[in-house]
Amino acid sequence: MEFNCSIKGENLVKKYKNFTMSIDELKIPAGFSTALIGENGAGKTTLLNILAGIKLDYKGKLTFYGKYDDKDRENDPFVRESIGYVGTDKYFMPQWTVKQIDGFSQLLFDNYDRDAFLKIYDELAISETGTYNPGKKISSLSDGNKVKLALASVLARDTDMLIMDEPASPLDPLMRDKLCDMIREYMSKKNGRTVFFSTHNIQDMENVTDYAIIMEHGKIVEEGFVEDLKEKYVLVKGEAKDEEEARKYLYSCSGSKYGFEGIALKDNLDKFDNMDVVVEDASLFQISVAIMKKNSKVK
Amino acid sequence: MKLVKSDVPIYRQISDSFKADILAGRISEGEYLPSIRELAKDLKISVITTMKAYEELQQEGLVTSVQGKGFYVNAQDSEMLKEQHLRKVEEALNTAIAAADVAGMADEELIDTLKTLLSIKEN
Repeated sequence: MEFNCSIKGENLVKKYKNFTMSIDELKIPAGFSTALIGENGAGKTTLLNILAGIKLDYKGKLTFYGKYDDKDRENDPFVRESIGYVGTDKYFMPQWTVKQIDGFSQLLFDNYDRDAFLKIYDELAISETGTYNPGKKISSLSDGNKVKLALASVLARDTDMLIMDEPASPLDPLMRDKLCDMIREYMSKKNGRTVFFSTHNIQDMENVTDYAIIMEHGKIVEEGFVEDLKEKYVLVKGEAKDEEEARKYLYSCSGSKYGFEGIALKDNLDKFDNMDVVVEDASLFQISVAIMKKNSKVK
Repeated sequence: MKLVKSDVPIYRQISDSFKADILAGRISEGEYLPSIRELAKDLKISVITTMKAYEELQQEGLVTSVQGKGFYVNAQDSEMLKEQHLRKVEEALNTAIAAADVAGMADEELIDTLKTLLSIKEN
């Protein structure tokens, strides 16, 4: 499937002492929601920080909306205002109050809508009293409420792209469901809106994931539209006696005396011809875990 | 649109539901289907899944996509479509008959089974 990219990256490299992130080609499809999946330390946050402009010391080329570079992201108000970012922490100073966040947002962004902020603040029940609490200090908020507050301030702006680092992690199940609703609503309100987020909560976010990028050890190991990945990989279940032979063609395999189960490439299904197996559709979660296991150092 | 929990992939459930609506005339010729992102929001599913459902409808010639406007329902040759569906039903029933043969079922037994299944569906 052909698509335009909201962000394109070429030869992105960021070196640390014991870790190198190196991405030959990065594609974030425009008008879709993309999930960035990978183990702890795979380089997800490094990549997100480079895209959001938090890290500027990297090598490579970034292109936004097909024609702007990373300098434009800093200097061109159109590009700068079009990107909303929700980080894991240190997004707001701990001693700031809700009122200050509101004030800073008004100062920094022309597209900030104060009424929308108050409405979302109220909708997400950020304050325990149920009413707007301008004097509330950021340091006194729970992790979940910090994410909610960051979401409220970002969604109050008329942006074209949302970049979020692990938004689901600190949220309770109810709020995760709400987060998915908010992402879908964000995308349906204006044409071409793009969402890019990292997550460990693949199952909770699957119904809001169109494109998936799986990273391991600083590299992209698999990517694609979810429906295409589901065409590419299948879940194979079989008998214990065939496990050893089956393992050769499985990405990940869990076996017991009752049988084995694992993810295989659909193209390799003929390898199981001599075995008595059941083939089922795989979920994004099963596919992701299998690919991560294959590349992981975790045994 | 009603999505029931089953083994059928979600995109197929969506396309089947629209197909039924189109063939029954509940969505008429020239009418636009809901926008992909609007429908994804309402059904709480991903955009790509909705898109796959619409692409399937397009491949079967039921709808046409217009860049920037969405998908509208084509004029349907209802006789031909009915014929196509009838053939599908016959095919499925033939499979059932063959299976019943293998199991050594009598014709009456097979018909009773069908009746039972139909009554379960109605409830």
